[in-house]
Amino acid sequence: MLFWDVTLQLLEGFGLTCLLFISTLVLALPLGLVFAFGSMSKTKPLQFITRGFVYIIRGTPLLLQLMIVVYLPGIVFHHPLTKWGIFGGNVEVAYFCGALAAFVINYACYFSEIYRGGIENIPRGQYEAGQVLGMTKRQVFFKVILLQVFKNILAPISNETITLVKDTALARSVAVAEIFFVSYELLSLKNIIWPLFYTGVFYLVFNTILTILFNKLEKRLSYFRS
Amino acid sequence: MKKRVLAIICAAVMLLGTLCMAGCGAESDWAAIEENGQLVIGITIYDPMNYYDDAGNLIGFDTEFANAVCEKLGVEAKFQIIDWKMKETELKSYNIDCIWNGLTVNEERKLDMDFTQSYLTNKQVVVAKASAGYTDAASLSGAILSAEGGSAGETAIAADTNLSKATYSASATQTDALLALVSGNADAIIIDYTLAIASCGTGAYADLVILEGVELADEEYAIGFRVGSDMVEKVDKIIDQLEKDGTLAAIAEKYGLTERYEEAQNK
Repeated sequence: MLFWDVTLQLLEGFGLTCLLFISTLVLALPLGLVFAFGSMSKTKPLQFITRGFVYIIRGTPLLLQLMIVVYLPGIVFHHPLTKWGIFGGNVEVAYFCGALAAFVINYACYFSEIYRGGIENIPRGQYEAGQVLGMTKRQVFFKVILLQVFKNILAPISNETITLVKDTALARSVAVAEIFFVSYELLSLKNIIWPLFYTGVFYLVFNTILTILFNKLEKRLSYFRS
Repeated sequence: MKKRVLAIICAAVMLLGTLCMAGCGAESDWAAIEENGQLVIGITIYDPMNYYDDAGNLIGFDTEFANAVCEKLGVEAKFQIIDWKMKETELKSYNIDCIWNGLTVNEERKLDMDFTQSYLTNKQVVVAKASAGYTDAASLSGAILSAEGGSAGETAIAADTNLSKATYSASATQTDALLALVSGNADAIIIDYTLAIASCGTGAYADLVILEGVELADEEYAIGFRVGSDMVEKVDKIIDQLEKDGTLAAIAEKYGLTERYEEAQNK
């Protein structure tokens, strides 16, 4: 089989990898902030529930969470994921959304802890100063604190983001035809093994681009040095 | 000018000759096997072909079959467990001498190995929940189907007029396809007959049945040797002998494979 044919087929799978990556990031970044507020909440029950949830999600494998989302609705509740009305009978969309849900929840939990660390690191004096100047709590958070938090957490967030690119390969196990799935299909269909290793190039190139972007972002924020 | 042309032709011939010696396997496989005193056979643990009994002995149809052939060859059968996905590489790199583990003959594989005559048939079957009430291929045309991506089952779905109308989604492995069926994400799946027999009606798969009313294309099992190996002819002759004296039929009966053995004989 030609190198070019394989590359095209893998690119098709990589499209799905990228879609899963971007959707996860877009949804998990804000959801993580919600979880972070929950775990810092002064309302004790809310704090307890959020922290317990984050503890469970961070303490179990993502692969297991994928299987729970995709298989449990059918096995336990007799409402198989692929037959939910919202997917309109499209099986591929159902599997993709199932996988996406697991990824978003998992990554939101990790992000929430990064946010929490970033927010709690801001000296108390800044809140007090804001209040002295007559700002409301909301104003202090969004106008004074958030940008500093953003700068502080950029490095750990970029770390998680790069991990996410590689973790998308786990979606193979729940029938998402991403690049790794495609390379395995080529292996059983055409008996060629090199595409399996060739997938590494795609991940590496993608992560190289991400690394460059994050480095640029970091430089742009460096004027903010304290 | 003439000299230069001659030189180029000579160089080309020499290069071709070297490539052929390296690539065509000029050495006899049999000579090497005879010298080692053993035939190294690549297998995976797979009931009923090669598996362990309660005492931990390797048994199975292919195990006994291989032992019978090796006895005639006068060498020892050495069973080497391999990663099935790596079987062609194992064979080409001389880690094993043959693949003998319910190996399905297909055109793609013929590029990587030479097959002996086929000795058993295998088929792809449709498995569904007994409670779902599917009976034939026509009743499945509106269902959600699954099979291992790139497997013979996937090919069988595409080749069937009714099944190709159904919604299809590939699973990562045959076990994942079974999971999709159990969870209801798929209504029916197409897997190996051998695996279906071993799974349906047991444990988590208690509610699953093979749909007898659906006929899918048959496959055949054969032994795979390196391309150009002189072992194919040698082993083929021994298989003929084992078929004539009833040895192979007896092994097939022992593992409940008589029907599939006879089907292969009639082809």
